[in-house]
Amino acid sequence: MAENGAHDSQLLKGVLSLALLRLLAERESYGYELVTRLHDLGLADVQDGSVYPALGRLERDGHITARLVASSTGPARKYYRLSPGGYAELARTAQAWNSLVRAIEPIVSKPIPTRPEEAVP
Amino acid sequence: MSELSKRDRMWIEVAVHRVDYWLGARVPRARRRQIRDELRTNLTDAAAEVGGEEAVRQLGDLHTLANSYLEVYRGRWDFRAGSWFAFFTYAAIQVLSLVISLAFTAGVLASGGHAAGYSLWSWFGPFSGSASSHSFEVTLGSPALVLMTSLAFVVGSSYRRWMRATRRS
Repeated sequence: MAENGAHDSQLLKGVLSLALLRLLAERESYGYELVTRLHDLGLADVQDGSVYPALGRLERDGHITARLVASSTGPARKYYRLSPGGYAELARTAQAWNSLVRAIEPIVSKPIPTRPEEAVP
Repeated sequence: MSELSKRDRMWIEVAVHRVDYWLGARVPRARRRQIRDELRTNLTDAAAEVGGEEAVRQLGDLHTLANSYLEVYRGRWDFRAGSWFAFFTYAAIQVLSLVISLAFTAGVLASGGHAAGYSLWSWFGPFSGSASSHSFEVTLGSPALVLMTSLAFVVGSSYRRWMRATRRS
């Protein structure tokens, strides 16, 4: 996380599917509810417009399924939940993410030198 | 949740239709309707909390959103691209016809103005006509013109799909 609380949009884009799968593993949700859940978890700079197509991609790939539920406040909402394949995908990507974090963490946690050491011939 | 004002609804409808416009003929009609409905629902929920204008702002750039939807839902055929390909092919052939016929007429007149005819592929076209010092004719709606325009439409409608398949292989 940057000092001002903003996140790198490219990094977020890479892990957005994982975050959505993880949230949907907890409970069935619709698009805007997932956006607010992400915001509540500290990802306030995730734009709504990046979440909705990501849900479409997960649905197209068979990782989540959707059903329409009538809403008292407006048009019917599209609720998403994990498919059996989605649980497998979540396990796979969570493992890949943890593995990546374990590999990267020792590198980025070292103090940053002011200038690189010169090579010794 | 608060009741939406007309202004909030206007913001939502404009955003939904802008995204829908960019999806154009590149996403199957039924899928576009689903995208519109879901986007409208989500924007309605967001607008009830933060207002219509802010709800649309939170979507980010609408063109980027439409492109993201396109990456997911692009249909087999891109009829909008096909139409542009066909239009430019038709226009290019017409311009070429005009240039050829003007050059041909100039040549006929320069050689003394005898009546003469010309054709590239005989009756098939696209360039055939006759010229003399007194009259000039040219055939534009030839079978070749129709065929090439149709071919351009098919190529334009499918080339992205073909490119994607090529990249994957």
